[in-house]
Amino acid sequence: MDDYKNKTDEEIVELISKGNKDLYAEIIRRYQTRLMRYAQYLVDDYAKASDAVQESFIKAYINLNGFNTKKKFSSWIYRIVHNEVINIIDKHKKSIVFDESIDFDSGINVEDSYMKEELAAHTHECLDSMDLKYREPLSLYYLEDKSYEEIGDILRLPIGTVATRINRAKAIMRKICQTKTR
Amino acid sequence: MSNKNEINLENKIMGRVISGEVKMKPRLYFILGSIMSFVGLVGLITGSVFFTNLTLFLIRKQGPGTGRLLLMLDSFPLWVPFLAVLLVILGSMVLKKYDFSYKRNFPVLVLTLLIAVLLSAKIIDSLGLNEIWSRRGPMKRFYTSDQQEVLGKQGPRYNRY
Repeated sequence: MDDYKNKTDEEIVELISKGNKDLYAEIIRRYQTRLMRYAQYLVDDYAKASDAVQESFIKAYINLNGFNTKKKFSSWIYRIVHNEVINIIDKHKKSIVFDESIDFDSGINVEDSYMKEELAAHTHECLDSMDLKYREPLSLYYLEDKSYEEIGDILRLPIGTVATRINRAKAIMRKICQTKTR
Repeated sequence: MSNKNEINLENKIMGRVISGEVKMKPRLYFILGSIMSFVGLVGLITGSVFFTNLTLFLIRKQGPGTGRLLLMLDSFPLWVPFLAVLLVILGSMVLKKYDFSYKRNFPVLVLTLLIAVLLSAKIIDSLGLNEIWSRRGPMKRFYTSDQQEVLGKQGPRYNRY
């Protein structure tokens, strides 16, 4: 299995599609921590996040032949987790709607690095209060280190919309974190 | 998350994969899905262009009127758009959410398609293809049946006044 450590995700997927199904374990090892973290940002419940990730790996395996290996596997698998999480949220009707009309002028100039630290330190308490629409791009950008283009692929949004949502999310974050950490 | 939980997740999934409980869908399944979507979309666009073009042609020849549209619908092969819509729906169901092909802004896509259909119809009409098609070829019946029925009911335009 060590021979495959240097291979890209897409190369491994091609080998799995050709019949080497044991190699799927390598894909799981590469992604399970990241995907669990991402799912937990969105549902804040270990059991539900675990179910979503497990179901996503199963669905990804079933549909592996439908994946275009010229695209990024990472965006594809994140997209599947996104869909699973949305299904779980719909099922449990656990959606927290954030009032967007609140004035976000905190008077603090938040830089990206600061935002990342703040987000990492108060991840759950801050993210939980945010609407999923903003929570998702924000966590993908700051905590999963995804580019705008990758976020666009995962959430199926134009890059401009991704940028707008991240900017709004930053403002919301500032307000929430300030209130929570006071 | 602890390492133990990670190993458990890996074991659970791989157990189902190796035992064959979870199977990969064959490549053919996705190829069929893509073909259905493509053929359906092409059929839908071609049908829309032809229908719009025919409407523009008849309006130009005989003036506007809803009765004409109903006559035209009588001779129009309605199974074509129905089949096209069905193929698009089936294709989308097959490909479902695991494809990147339809990730872009849906309203913009629909608007672009509408503009493309109207423009193509206008171009076909301006190029005089309607005159050729109404005289010969397999599409003659759409033009002649409409014109004859319309003219039969209302008489030639120059006689109406």
